[in-house]
Amino acid sequence: MSNKTNNTPLIIIGAVVVIAIIGGWWLYSSGNTPKKPVANSNSVAKSNAGEAFKTAPAGAEPSWSKGAANATVTIEEFVDFACPQCAKATPIVQQARAAYGDRVRVIFRHFPLDIPAHKNAYDASRAAEAAGIQGKFWEMENLLFKNQSAWSPASLNPRPIFEEYAKQIGLDTVKFNDDLIGMMTTSRVDKDKVRGRALNVSSTPSVYLNNRLLNIEDITPDNLKKLIDAELAKSQTPVANSATNTNANTPTN
Amino acid sequence: MNEISEKYSNTFAIVASILALIGMGDAIYLVVHSLNGDQIPCGLTGGCGAVLSSQYSEIFGIPLAFFGVAAYFIAFCLALLTAFGNSKLWNIFGLQVTFMVCFSAWLTYIQAFILLEYCQYCLVSAAVCCSLFLVFIISKLLKK
Repeated sequence: MSNKTNNTPLIIIGAVVVIAIIGGWWLYSSGNTPKKPVANSNSVAKSNAGEAFKTAPAGAEPSWSKGAANATVTIEEFVDFACPQCAKATPIVQQARAAYGDRVRVIFRHFPLDIPAHKNAYDASRAAEAAGIQGKFWEMENLLFKNQSAWSPASLNPRPIFEEYAKQIGLDTVKFNDDLIGMMTTSRVDKDKVRGRALNVSSTPSVYLNNRLLNIEDITPDNLKKLIDAELAKSQTPVANSATNTNANTPTN
Repeated sequence: MNEISEKYSNTFAIVASILALIGMGDAIYLVVHSLNGDQIPCGLTGGCGAVLSSQYSEIFGIPLAFFGVAAYFIAFCLALLTAFGNSKLWNIFGLQVTFMVCFSAWLTYIQAFILLEYCQYCLVSAAVCCSLFLVFIISKLLKK
């Protein structure tokens, strides 16, 4: 009898372990379902935002983009520099574009979120624009994402850090600091935000592939490739052979 | 007198084991979340995305939730064994929950003053840690 009593806590602990493993496994497998490849499925895009695209303001013009202006596939990415998911998604999108050359165009749009945790995101966008004035937008974009955790905590003043990045990429830091708070950079970031709002962007990254909003689960190298392939297959247009600059540090239309 | 205090001890230990189970469930949810590599877009989830994807959400590349599951499981075992008569383990339980409540306070501080965002699952865990600590303190005060 006393042995039975002594065993009871062990039985309960064993039962808890078993329930925890089964419950955890169930949660894991149900959470995994949406991550399966989704190519050729209409469910890949959350919505067809085509109508909103017809009426939305243009955003900052000329925009920061890579790829040919008449590319078959256009990816427009609304990004917040302080958003960890944007830091993950942006290189994936850029790598996908690079693999397709001028057939795919990626347009970068600022969308710094108005949330306390992302207090420094607006300045980061302006820093990228300020670097862009000196022809180093993509270099600054890369540094901002790569070192996101160094400048994004809202308790920090990020400007000295941005100035350090400006030095690293060989910018005139006096001009950079002036431009960072200047009208031109501010207005370009704001224009992108206005466009984002008109397209009902409420979270980042918001990635549109030929005007269709992608699910965040689709922004993986494999899924994105399948989606781009599907768009290219739909199109009968011959491969674009544009001479538009693909990596230049000047905004392109 | 001894009987009364023993009865109290049992009740506190049972309450503590139930609380530890709640904490463990919460931590398991977060472990699954990190294993799935769930991508939470920024701006949608009232701060959970920002908190769970921040640099503070892991130690040596291991998500904190893994340590949470282990800590709650040990706390559960200690409390349960106390409830079944191993009253010496109650002090080890106390030591552990003191450490847990301090660590929770640090994580809540990070949410409040560094990330400026809160994750509800992390707050549930902090509340459970506080409750476990309070249960232990009250049990000690009543024994006196």
